[in-house]
Amino acid sequence: MKQALSPIASIVTLARTWQGVVILVIVATQLLLPLHYYTVRRDPHDERFAWRMFSPMRMTRCTSQFTVNDAPVPLGGAFHEAWIEIASRGRFMVIEEMAAKLCNDRPGSSVRVKLTCTYVDGDQREYGGYDMCKVPRL
Amino acid sequence: MAKKRKSNRPNRPGPKPAATTPTPAVIPVVPEPMMATQGPVREPVFWFGFEVTWTKLVVARFAIFALLAIDAFLAIRHAPRYGAGDFNVGQLGFLGDLGPGRIGYGVGQLALTYLFAMIACGVATRVLVPLGAAIYAWLYFGSQLDSYQHHYLVALILVIASLVPWQRPAGSDPAAPVRTWAVRLLLVQLAIVYLWAAISKLDGAWLDGSTLAKQMTGKVGALITSTIGMKVAALLVIGVELALAATVWSRRTWRIALPLGLVFHASIAATGLEIGLFAFLMLGFYVLVVPDRIWVALLRGIHAPLDRLAAPSWIAWGIGFVAAIGIARFVRVEHAFVVAIAASAVPLVVAIHALVRGRGPAAFVGLAHVLAIALWLLLDRTSDVAVDYYRFWGGSQRRLGNPEVAERAYRRLVAIAPDEEVGHYQLGRILLQQNRGDEGLAELHAAQHLEPMRARAYIAEARYLQQQGKTAEAIEKAKQATYAEPANPDARTLLDSLSAPGGARPPADDSE
Repeated sequence: MKQALSPIASIVTLARTWQGVVILVIVATQLLLPLHYYTVRRDPHDERFAWRMFSPMRMTRCTSQFTVNDAPVPLGGAFHEAWIEIASRGRFMVIEEMAAKLCNDRPGSSVRVKLTCTYVDGDQREYGGYDMCKVPRL
Repeated sequence: MAKKRKSNRPNRPGPKPAATTPTPAVIPVVPEPMMATQGPVREPVFWFGFEVTWTKLVVARFAIFALLAIDAFLAIRHAPRYGAGDFNVGQLGFLGDLGPGRIGYGVGQLALTYLFAMIACGVATRVLVPLGAAIYAWLYFGSQLDSYQHHYLVALILVIASLVPWQRPAGSDPAAPVRTWAVRLLLVQLAIVYLWAAISKLDGAWLDGSTLAKQMTGKVGALITSTIGMKVAALLVIGVELALAATVWSRRTWRIALPLGLVFHASIAATGLEIGLFAFLMLGFYVLVVPDRIWVALLRGIHAPLDRLAAPSWIAWGIGFVAAIGIARFVRVEHAFVVAIAASAVPLVVAIHALVRGRGPAAFVGLAHVLAIALWLLLDRTSDVAVDYYRFWGGSQRRLGNPEVAERAYRRLVAIAPDEEVGHYQLGRILLQQNRGDEGLAELHAAQHLEPMRARAYIAEARYLQQQGKTAEAIEKAKQATYAEPANPDARTLLDSLSAPGGARPPADDSE
């Protein structure tokens, strides 16, 4: 009777072939990458690559107020509504890029973004409120 | 202890059964180097000893890639958001500049529809699956615009699927097992998805049922509330996901995973949540979980005709080649004809490959090519994709302040769907804004004719007439607006303001 390989021996054996390396890379990546969300990801609303289907965070709704030199910016005239929808889910990376574009289009201006998010349990949190041309991250 | 084996399976290790009939009509496609059907099983057996029958692979290939083809075509309606306003954010920061624009996304999804349909039919899968994976990865990783977990999963599945030997050699025994570590990896990938999905729900807002209550509305929500309640349902979801994570990857536990997974994903599909074909795609993966003997028994008779289609036939190939181009002329999606011409390279290369090997192209290559293009036409004519594409393109460009581009989009919309009132209405408004009165009014009249019970086209005309100083005619049009849609407040306000003593200033044109 052939003995099954121990887990460590299996990994070592796998690493000897390209097929095994593919398996190891995909399995390890898929097991570990979602940990990024729970440990070091700075944006709790950004659930990409974490397999958080139908999670409570997905129900979060945010309102973002963009101002340029203290004047409100009508976002619909500057960005496609699909981006505004993503911003309404509070995704920092997209909001920061939107602010960066406004800074870029209006050199020397002050672009402020105030993000107010309401979570599924009713909690509210605010982010930003400062000049994102100077501090580009929320 | 050695496992008991099915009687129709060869003992392993050892060579797999060769073709049971002579195979003069070998499919002229790229060979399958991943098809480890010879020799002893390598260690670890968990991966390299995993086997499924050819029949199951063929069914899974057809189910999964046919769904992906439909999904890709339906995604074309999202193309106008790509590159709009010269703004994009990639999935990873440095990918933003490489993201697709409107044309790139539309053409890419159209090409994917074609490639997935060809793969579903079993043409050149060793080349077309990686090609499809690369295009899909570009579309997905290039922008966060469509960044649901569904898209991420498909991107990963396509990478793994590139390593699956999808093509059954003509004449080989449909019940013969084929070793494929990549299918095991695909199932393990699904298990990992279930595991993390369950972990993500270990949160107070999920466990108390409040999140599910907000997601489940309508009849399904009412049914859950009136029976087991949201809290129990929420706990059940976690339990099912954990059970599937533990069972979907192992043949021994498929009898648990199969009913559980089918019911789970069918229930999600029934909720009507806006997740596209995700639930159906997940159901498609369960083809791999159905016991092999069931597929073999159900489809015992299908392989003989399939093998006949693998016979070389220049006539079938040629008819398919020409017919596909003819069909593509009737597809209304932008650039469809150009993509169809480019897609002709696939049967052409397959034929050249066969020729180099001293054979003709298989009959089914021409058939698959024409079916793939016919799928475009079928989906185009049975869905709103083409109409939505031009409507969304025109709408976004109008809002972003590009009336010339919006006009182009609405003109195309009117051309492909003259009975769609929205094209006439929006085109009319844009033309009037450019002081092209006669053209604009003609479009508004067409809209009024197509939607006699809506006030918006009458209101737009009344406002234009008012701006031209034709107050009496404007009042008449405003009256018609109130007749068409008596409950419309804008129509009533406009009529009141026009009829007021001393006239009135034109109200803001904010109608959609």
